[in-house]
Amino acid sequence: MSLDAERNYYAILGVSQSATDEEIKRAYRALARRYHPDTRTEATSTTLFHEIQAAYAVLSDPNRRRAYDRRRAESGQSEEPTLDWRILQSQSQLCSQYEEQVLYLLIEIRPATSASGKRLPLNLCLVIDRSTSMQGARLEHVKRAAHEIIAELHDEDTLAVVTFNDRADVVLPSQRASNRIHARAKVASIFASGGTEILRGLQVGLAEIEKYHDRQVTSHLILLTDGQTYGDEENCLAEARLAGSRRIGITAMGIGEDWNDALLDEIAAQSGGVSAYIASPGQVRSLLQQRVRGLGSTFAQDLTLDVHCAEGVQVENVFRTSPHLERLSLANGAISLGSLEIDTPLTVVMELSVTQKPPGEHELLRIELTGDVPALGRRGEKLYHTIHCPFIPHEAPPKPVPPAILSALSKVTIYRMQEKAWDSLDSGDIKTATHRLEMIATRLFDLGETQLARAAMLEAGRISRSGTATAKGRKELKYGTRSLNLASWRESYD
Amino acid sequence: MIECPSCGRKHRPGTLFCSECGVYLPTGGPLRTEPLPEEELPISRANPWASETIEEPVEAPPIPLRIRVKSTDRQIQLPSTSEVHIGRLDAAHGIFPDLDLGPDGGLEGGVSRHHCKIHQRGSAYLVEDVGSANGTFLNGQRLTPYLPHVLKDGDELQLGHIKLEVIIQE
Repeated sequence: MSLDAERNYYAILGVSQSATDEEIKRAYRALARRYHPDTRTEATSTTLFHEIQAAYAVLSDPNRRRAYDRRRAESGQSEEPTLDWRILQSQSQLCSQYEEQVLYLLIEIRPATSASGKRLPLNLCLVIDRSTSMQGARLEHVKRAAHEIIAELHDEDTLAVVTFNDRADVVLPSQRASNRIHARAKVASIFASGGTEILRGLQVGLAEIEKYHDRQVTSHLILLTDGQTYGDEENCLAEARLAGSRRIGITAMGIGEDWNDALLDEIAAQSGGVSAYIASPGQVRSLLQQRVRGLGSTFAQDLTLDVHCAEGVQVENVFRTSPHLERLSLANGAISLGSLEIDTPLTVVMELSVTQKPPGEHELLRIELTGDVPALGRRGEKLYHTIHCPFIPHEAPPKPVPPAILSALSKVTIYRMQEKAWDSLDSGDIKTATHRLEMIATRLFDLGETQLARAAMLEAGRISRSGTATAKGRKELKYGTRSLNLASWRESYD
Repeated sequence: MIECPSCGRKHRPGTLFCSECGVYLPTGGPLRTEPLPEEELPISRANPWASETIEEPVEAPPIPLRIRVKSTDRQIQLPSTSEVHIGRLDAAHGIFPDLDLGPDGGLEGGVSRHHCKIHQRGSAYLVEDVGSANGTFLNGQRLTPYLPHVLKDGDELQLGHIKLEVIIQE
């Protein structure tokens, strides 16, 4: 059999070029069983079966595989992988005695070491709330932050500035960031008055972004608001969804206590962006700057994780734990992960429930990562992995769980406790809500997060007395538990 | 089903953290390292000045260091990072040592969560107690906390009651 570099043996077996020998063997066995001429009658399956065998004959032999890879590289067909991942399981084997058990997966995605792309130009729009409540320190800090962003943007970047109150105005139409003096003067002219209508601001901002939007830029809208929008929430979400499908991300930042966190979270989630809480106006600058820097180091966009579960396996919860803790949703077997920055790995934790299976090796699920790496001009990059797990008839001796999983899960646990506390408060169960907040306070004290722990205690006390929480405490806990940095506390214990 | 030792809630096997109270289920929450009775530990102390006699670093590729836990015969290849922390994992407090002695009876054996660390200087390995509750012993001699000592192939390290063998071989 000759080595035919034109034929993509990897694609025939449905594995990536970086697949291990074990993965290749598994893929071959599964396909061979499915297309064996004895089990099928159609003529096509016989041809396919021969192709599968030919592919396996080459890829299973290390020498021939190397030669094949070399030829593909020479003929320009080879693809160095641009994305890299590592997948960890909380247990390496499961016990077949349990009716149902829990398994955690951690997926850490980063740029492949060999890949280093150029920086993509940013196509940015700042959408600034200029309602009366922004008057004074808030607006001044936002303006100063905008000035700093203008100074930091590269000449090839584009920037637009839109303000809104009861209506929306284009302060700076989308243009190259090279004319900095003009941009700064326009930002300086913003003054506060009127109400808050987020929808108009979003619409006008997105229209500005569209002017320079294409696949070769990172398009992003940053919304800064301190108030509630009334009656247009549904339309705001529809705009965010549309933006997401056009690959325009939205970062939603709320200043102070009076904004609608559920809405801003949802706007961010729908567009693959992030939401943040700015407790005091002084934090605007650092948060905004950090965000713009992160956007400037985007490596891959539009990352999607497709999950195919075997029978009896179910994905119960999915969280992204790095770079920002966020609950992700699994819709039609796909999880939208947003974008990957060059220096920060993207980490996802999945909680699976697995029903009883007889002893032996079982396939649990297949995952497929798809994404675009515009900096390298590559689209539709793919990685595959199948998770198999042996089931043993007796209880396995406890093995250490990978620390990366524990570290990610301990963050997720506190965040979820906080979610549940508000759920019980919203359903009127004062007693449970109080109890849950006290539990959170205990855990936060354990972690050395005294300030956040006190906030939880205060809210617990308030709820038990008056039955309601303060907007400030609620936001502080929600966004505070989301950005816990546990690693920094390791020095404070023996 | 497994029961949370702290709040009693039942969880499916494999669950790692209690969803109600946040406790790490395999160990049941914050457990302190209890001080061991003095008479159970060696009394001789290492010369604190011995740490000064480190030769100038030689630029040789470091020989990999392995640790063997004597009681369980578990062997661990230490990661080639410049500093390796040894202790007892406590997920509830976000403490994840590079070498966790929890599975080797670390808690009962008096191993602290942050017990000691091994770092590299040139081609030499140094061990340093980081203020553990029950001390780090090198060949039966208690080390003064925060003073590094050179490790050799075949040395015996003792953390609380847990004895380790140092293997520095190709």
